[in-house]
Amino acid sequence: MDINTKKLKKNAFRVTKVRGMTASRIRVPGGHLDARYLGKIQEIAERFGNGTIHITSRQGFEIPGIPYEKMAEVNALLQPLIEGLDINQSEPGTGYPASGTRNITACIGNRVCPYACYDTTAFARRIEKAVFPNDLHFKIALTGCPNDCMKVRMHDFGIMGMTEPQFEPQRCVSCEACIDVCAKKSVTALKAVKYRPQRNEEKCIGCGECVLNCPNMAWTRSKEKYYRLTLMGRTGKKNPRLGEDFIKWGDEASIIKIILNTYDYVEKYIDRNAPGGKEHIGYIVDRTGFEEFKGWALKDVNLPAKARVFTPLYWQGIKY
Amino acid sequence: MTDNEYVPFLSKITEIIRHTDIEYTFRMTYDGDVKPGQFFEVSIPKYGEAPISVSGIGDGTVDLTIRKVGKVTNEVFEHTMGDHLFLRGPYGNGFDLDDYRGRELVVVAGGTGLSPVRGVVDHFARHPEEVKGMTLITGFKSPADILFFGDLARWKQSMEVILTVDCADDGDKPAACQIGLVTEHLPKVKLGDISRAVAIVVGPPAMMRFSVLGLLELGFAEKNIWISQERKMCCGIGKCGHCKIGDVYVCLDGPVFNYTKGRTLID
Amino acid sequence: MGFKLSREAFDAVLQSWTDDYVLFAPKRFEQGGIYSDTDCIRYGQVQAVDEIVFDSKSLYSFKEALLPVSETLFFFTEETVKEADPPKKGAIIFLRSCDLHGLKRLDEIYLRNGPEDAYYRRLRDRVQFVLMGCPHSFENCFCVSMGTNQATDYAISVDVEGDGFLVDCKSEAWAERITPRAEAELDVTPRHVTENAVTVNIPETLTIQVASSRIWDEYDNRCIDCGRCNFVCPTCTCFTMQDLFYTENGRVGERRRIWASCMVDGFTDVAGGGSYRKKNGERMRFKVLHKVYDFKVRTGSHMCVGCGRCDDVCPEYISFSNSVNKLDQAMKEVSGR
Repeated sequence: MDINTKKLKKNAFRVTKVRGMTASRIRVPGGHLDARYLGKIQEIAERFGNGTIHITSRQGFEIPGIPYEKMAEVNALLQPLIEGLDINQSEPGTGYPASGTRNITACIGNRVCPYACYDTTAFARRIEKAVFPNDLHFKIALTGCPNDCMKVRMHDFGIMGMTEPQFEPQRCVSCEACIDVCAKKSVTALKAVKYRPQRNEEKCIGCGECVLNCPNMAWTRSKEKYYRLTLMGRTGKKNPRLGEDFIKWGDEASIIKIILNTYDYVEKYIDRNAPGGKEHIGYIVDRTGFEEFKGWALKDVNLPAKARVFTPLYWQGIKY
Repeated sequence: MTDNEYVPFLSKITEIIRHTDIEYTFRMTYDGDVKPGQFFEVSIPKYGEAPISVSGIGDGTVDLTIRKVGKVTNEVFEHTMGDHLFLRGPYGNGFDLDDYRGRELVVVAGGTGLSPVRGVVDHFARHPEEVKGMTLITGFKSPADILFFGDLARWKQSMEVILTVDCADDGDKPAACQIGLVTEHLPKVKLGDISRAVAIVVGPPAMMRFSVLGLLELGFAEKNIWISQERKMCCGIGKCGHCKIGDVYVCLDGPVFNYTKGRTLID
Repeated sequence: MGFKLSREAFDAVLQSWTDDYVLFAPKRFEQGGIYSDTDCIRYGQVQAVDEIVFDSKSLYSFKEALLPVSETLFFFTEETVKEADPPKKGAIIFLRSCDLHGLKRLDEIYLRNGPEDAYYRRLRDRVQFVLMGCPHSFENCFCVSMGTNQATDYAISVDVEGDGFLVDCKSEAWAERITPRAEAELDVTPRHVTENAVTVNIPETLTIQVASSRIWDEYDNRCIDCGRCNFVCPTCTCFTMQDLFYTENGRVGERRRIWASCMVDGFTDVAGGGSYRKKNGERMRFKVLHKVYDFKVRTGSHMCVGCGRCDDVCPEYISFSNSVNKLDQAMKEVSGR
């Protein structure tokens, strides 16, 4: 058997512990898909795999137990999924063109969750369109609100939904439900001044609890959607750590631009001699210094006036 | 706009009578009709309003006995003789003296509950011939809390007065004062014809509940017992809803209720 | 007198009033829902007929036009008061049959229960009502059970008919403006529903004894005492007063009143401590019996008009109508003791 493992990995197959057997990895940007695609995945698993499916930690599917010689047939069957989920592809019928940039994950978002400040899946798909295919090892995740159910702070790029609460004093009934909930569930950004809540804009994290808990719609959501961008969180062997806040009250276009800029930065600075040619972005930033990264990341980025950039950033985490 | 009930009028403080550290009677100029048991909204711009019972009625004046327990009443205490306060009212039904004339009358009052009923007691103290006999049982937490102490001696001349405190250190209490809850003194009331005797009960909720039970046990008829309720009020005119209990508005239909109605009122 | 009017003609009729009246109607607040990417239909000022939402129930009722959520009563210095000016214009309010019955409940409290409320009166006298027909019942409506599915005290009624409107006119002033613009004169009866999916049964035997039933207990835990049911209700009328001053050392300020809710903490708090109905089940009982029992004892008609907004809005899915339907069983429970 003569297999180019570099090529098969780039094609989203895996070298497994079972000699002669591979596994196919299916990306589902935003973690949400039409139920009919499950039938396609089932078909591949039963015809070419061992009849099981693993739901991956990055919201994709992995079909194990596929003989290497069946990869072309599997790729053919993957085509409806690749098209249906609108994955960028170089040549139809040849499967996934890259696997370095991982599936872009998202919590369930505002399609279902009351707390979510935006449609996480839709935003994830837009990022996917902008960044994929790419061989660089990027991990991007989106979560609807500061609860961070998606654990975006463990990713290179974490996107957290925010809303800027709008207050209409004439609708306020002074019940203080917003003040209570902000103190108990959020960050105590509200206090009562002359019977009405006063919002500490500096403190507010845009979670929307005040809006959700106001019984008379004195608080409503901003029409504009805002995001917090956290950077360079990671798991792994050397120095696992949580991502730090880079931008608060950011916008979608700026975030996509910052991610794309980071690809340029990594292309420039990645250690080509790293094992497997793979180096996590965070370690590159550790090497070049944050200021150098920031210069690249913010190139041609037009942040909204409301946006706040945190700089410089320092990360903690466990150092082995 | 005419007839705007929410707009208060100015009234001058003509006298301040100090009962305890936190309870003063403010004698206010007022010319209109008013009955004991009615109340005024004392209205202090910037601080708000508080419903205060009429504790005495004079010639061109009303007495408002005020306990310093909140934002508004704290501010009232900052005022001195000659100052003005804003008032609205009088509101509520008040006590109808005809309900008690020609009867034996027992008044049971706890704490500041003596204020709303003071006008009734004072009237019959001046006109003892209008009732067949009268007993006042008035209780306070401690000797320091006693209200209208000066009146009590005067009232004693024309009625039976039982003054009691919940507890007191030795030597601390006036000679005329007994120890114990008002309910403990109820059996001491001497009455000729209990079936025709009438009673008024005013005070904190628990004290009223147990006093009424005590009176019923003694043999008082429900229809011969009158109570006065205290509830949160904002408007005093049946609009704001805070004082509603069941189908009544305390500010309009009360605060004085016959017990046959009062017992049906469930908060 | 009935008319058929094109959309443009109807709008022209409305515009003819706007020198002296604002138009107040259910409208769509885009992205105005409490959840992201949701709209909210509630009352607001509209400029033209196209803004009016005819095919949904508004989350909140019309009452905020007559009883502003927050209303300044007067301005004061330490020894003077000056009443707040009324709005410069009157209002034309679009509302459904249930709400028009709700108006009678507001009138009962604000014009008849005790002395007249001067602030309500001055607004009330400058309002004209436009009945919006109901071609079908909405979710949670139970107007038929409450006898509020038809109303007659309107200046005009309006029903969407194709691209235009059918109007029944009871006002000469409106007729003068409509007649020259109408496509046709015809008999018009405002659309109304004759049945709802939800019905309620208020037992004839209901007495205050029902307060001691165990049915109220479940609401101790289910209800979160947020007050939404009161705020959306077209017949809830309670308020609280607030005094505020404009600067720290200022002598100038205002007294205002704001909506209050019998479900929310603090409603019964008296100075110096003490409050009533601490449990949410007790508050639920107080509210339910006010809506379908004691208001009727006092005034002769039920307060509830069956609009179902309390059910629409409750975040805990507590159904008011279902709680009313438990009263029969509850009476059996308490009278069996």
